[in-house]
Amino acid sequence: MSDNRRFTLFSTAGLGIMLGLGLVLGLVLGLVVAPAFRGSTPADDSPEAGFARDMSAHHAQAVAMGMIAQQRGTNIAVRVIGGDIALTQQGQIGMMSQWLRGWGLNVNGTGQAMAWMPGGENALEDGLMPGMATQEEMTKLDQARGPEVDRLFIQMMIKHHLGGIHMVDGILKQSRNEDVVWLANSMKAGQQKEIRDLQSAQKSLPSQ
Amino acid sequence: MSISTPSEPKNPSVVKVSGKPAAKPGAKPGTKSGTKAPVSAKGKGGGRKPVTPVKVGGGRNWGPIALFTAVGVIAVGIIGFAAWPSFGPGGTAYSWQTRAGQISGIVNFRDNGTQLIQEHDWAPQKYDQNPPVGGKHNPVWQRCMGDIYDAPIPNEHAVHSLEHGAVWLTYRSDLNPDEVNTLKGKIKGKQFTLMSPVEGLDHKVSLQAWGYQLKLDDVNDSRIDDFISVLAKNATLEPEASCSGGNTATGTTPLTEQQAQQRLGGNQ
Repeated sequence: MSDNRRFTLFSTAGLGIMLGLGLVLGLVLGLVVAPAFRGSTPADDSPEAGFARDMSAHHAQAVAMGMIAQQRGTNIAVRVIGGDIALTQQGQIGMMSQWLRGWGLNVNGTGQAMAWMPGGENALEDGLMPGMATQEEMTKLDQARGPEVDRLFIQMMIKHHLGGIHMVDGILKQSRNEDVVWLANSMKAGQQKEIRDLQSAQKSLPSQ
Repeated sequence: MSISTPSEPKNPSVVKVSGKPAAKPGAKPGTKSGTKAPVSAKGKGGGRKPVTPVKVGGGRNWGPIALFTAVGVIAVGIIGFAAWPSFGPGGTAYSWQTRAGQISGIVNFRDNGTQLIQEHDWAPQKYDQNPPVGGKHNPVWQRCMGDIYDAPIPNEHAVHSLEHGAVWLTYRSDLNPDEVNTLKGKIKGKQFTLMSPVEGLDHKVSLQAWGYQLKLDDVNDSRIDDFISVLAKNATLEPEASCSGGNTATGTTPLTEQQAQQRLGGNQ
């Protein structure tokens, strides 16, 4: 008989309450634990996704500049650095695109550029990300010939790298994602070194 | 609230459906403990809490049901809220092809039997669509890094850009400056896009990706942004092909091999 009584503890009401409490407990745990996993797969509006998209666009312009320098520069240092930057950054664009795909996100954002970075909207110059050349400046470089290519390329790429490093600092302050932090750190070190190389090449150009 | 509701162990033939009257007889099992329990509240429960007879075979236990339902609804709400950006209409959980199909009015030439040849050819081409959405094209692509061209550009270069994943926004050349500025705002500096006017276009705006086209008559139509967001870069035939470099000149005839050599050749 007492067995029967015990059984009643698991009647509809008892089960209902236990299930209910269990569900509540599970939800609370889920909500507490979920943020810990968010680091490994950034969301659509995360700084990591914003960085991957914006830096891809930023890199694409450096690739364009680098290709022009590599093809049409007259100074050998300029040509070598141009080719190096173009190849490296094109490869990094592929990495960042694949991050986004791996995170299940669109490679294109829908918001404004730099929105992932605190104060990012203030860093925009006429709607362009820091260090970006305008369409007119790019066309001017594209149409330049002779030593003018070297001169323009060095100026534009130094500015471009400084802007890029600013964005890298922005993501390093916000992200704990290993892949992102690793690539961002390498970008910063690489671009700082390239700025020094570009500055020394700048000094070797014939003054005009 | 008492967790233990009495059951009717002694009389399996009495089914406790929810009928109150039927439950009463079942509530009086003739066992020794039976004498205490059902009658109740006053009796000693032998260490166990006495059971109130009122509960016996009574109506449903609305409390637990309500609690259970509420928790369930909240759970579904939370899961739904979290999943909506991915699984809602246009969500990122769907492939870009699926999301493209969800843009109303879009024409998918990839699926309707249209043959779009990928070959290169320096010669000017005739295209079946206006503006073209694919086909033979010039070896040189049109630069498509959010470039805004104020005059028509050769189709043969633009089609090569589409092959690389660009979205080409074309507008009828007689749009007023405000309309053109609105469109510029959607393209400027945006990777894998380019924009140019087309004379005598049959709609105010026509968007192209390789094998896709959307024509509309309002420059503020949100489908313009949808088309760009879903198709730019994603619709490429050559993943990670670049929009950097290429032709930047406007005009109606494509670069010849000699012109390309002059324009894009190495240093000499």
